[in-house]
Amino acid sequence: MKSVPTKKNHVIGAALFAAAMALPSYQPALAEAAPEKGVVAFKYLNYEDSQPNQDRIGVNAYSTSIMMPFAAKWSVSTSYTYDSVSGASPRRHDYFDAVAGASTMSEKRNAGDLNFTRYLDKGSITFGTSYSEESDYISRGYSLQRSFSTIDNNTTVTLGGSYNTDTINAWKKEVYGKSKKVYAGLIGVTKVLNKKDIVQINIGFSRGDGYFSDPYKEGEGGTLDPRPNVRNITTFLTRWNHHFDSSDGTARVSYRYYTDSYDISAHTLGVEYVQPLPYRLTITPAVRYSSQTAAFFYVPKASYNPLADPSKPYSYDERLSAFGALTLGVKVEKKIAADWTVDVKYEHYEQRAAWCMTGKGDTGLQPFRFRSIQLGISRQL
Amino acid sequence: MKAHTLLKPVHAFLLMVMLAFSGCSIGQAVQPWEKETLARHEMTFEGDPLETRYDEHIYSSKEGASGGAGVGGGGCGCN
Repeated sequence: MKSVPTKKNHVIGAALFAAAMALPSYQPALAEAAPEKGVVAFKYLNYEDSQPNQDRIGVNAYSTSIMMPFAAKWSVSTSYTYDSVSGASPRRHDYFDAVAGASTMSEKRNAGDLNFTRYLDKGSITFGTSYSEESDYISRGYSLQRSFSTIDNNTTVTLGGSYNTDTINAWKKEVYGKSKKVYAGLIGVTKVLNKKDIVQINIGFSRGDGYFSDPYKEGEGGTLDPRPNVRNITTFLTRWNHHFDSSDGTARVSYRYYTDSYDISAHTLGVEYVQPLPYRLTITPAVRYSSQTAAFFYVPKASYNPLADPSKPYSYDERLSAFGALTLGVKVEKKIAADWTVDVKYEHYEQRAAWCMTGKGDTGLQPFRFRSIQLGISRQL
Repeated sequence: MKAHTLLKPVHAFLLMVMLAFSGCSIGQAVQPWEKETLARHEMTFEGDPLETRYDEHIYSSKEGASGGAGVGGGGCGCN
């Protein structure tokens, strides 16, 4: 396999760059009072992905966050993330790699965010802003979220909106100064069912306009991954937590349905079980399964000649293909002092075309795996 | 390309309002002094914020589907 150096490719680390910018998805189950204590936390991530006989991308990421209450009815939170990414991007179709090989890359990123929350008698309002920068990608985000609780605090309705504007300055001159704008909204309800059950339902919408292609995925005739310049997304997410008195454990179940204007639809089911143990330990095994259909413009490399109709979008991006994926993980937490907690988490992920629920995966794609290790420490202030 | 509309926003809003005020509790409404278990960290949907961010962005860079838990989040060159 020939290795073609490029400045970057789509990588997990790029996503981690955005991690520090994620806005709070927390939707209260109970009365939303201003926090009495602050929290400072640090987390390290080590990530490695692979394909049969091939180590691919490696990531080291460092995140820190702090949340502090102030002025009785306010809190402020901020976080910072730095990550470094290096390695070779995943092989795509067998045919493609036989011809062109995978590309190698190296990248570093910095990101930060700042959020202010005002706590009201029955609800809260949060404003957030974020900024991230890597060598060829800058993203700015703004969000507003308002929650309303009923008098008994057993039901909370959440409305949220956000706006992101991104600038892409790829090293290829034809992809310099491109932009992308994404508007998103969310409607959610969190409801206490009884003393041991709580459920949440969220419906989300987003509309994106601009440059969605991956300029480092070069296609036929020098074309650069031509994708539609609009992507509209709808999600339906429901989560259910149940506490077992007999074991003092808690089951956390989630299901998400996703559909978008690319024609991708996905079902994602997650189950984890939080079990307290002696010596102030907690263990949480988890399993996740996801299956998605292919984008309407995804093409197996060997089956399509896009130059025959250059007006049509097409992509060889394996993430747009049909596949199923399974994750197994376990997390162990230990409270080491009154205000101190440490944790370690391990996950193994595998993605295969044959595991797609519809059975229509691209069999030319190789299985893809990653393992991740997270180490964290936090302290209440 | 098919229309991907699962729900129009106005329909979603009406559905959520119905859910919020449906009174679909199992049994009687839970009183404040009965919420000790519900107040435990593992019974909230918040989780560990830094862990959640890592997880969500790993998946969003390796799969075609993402999101659903909240609004916002930074853009990046990965997807």
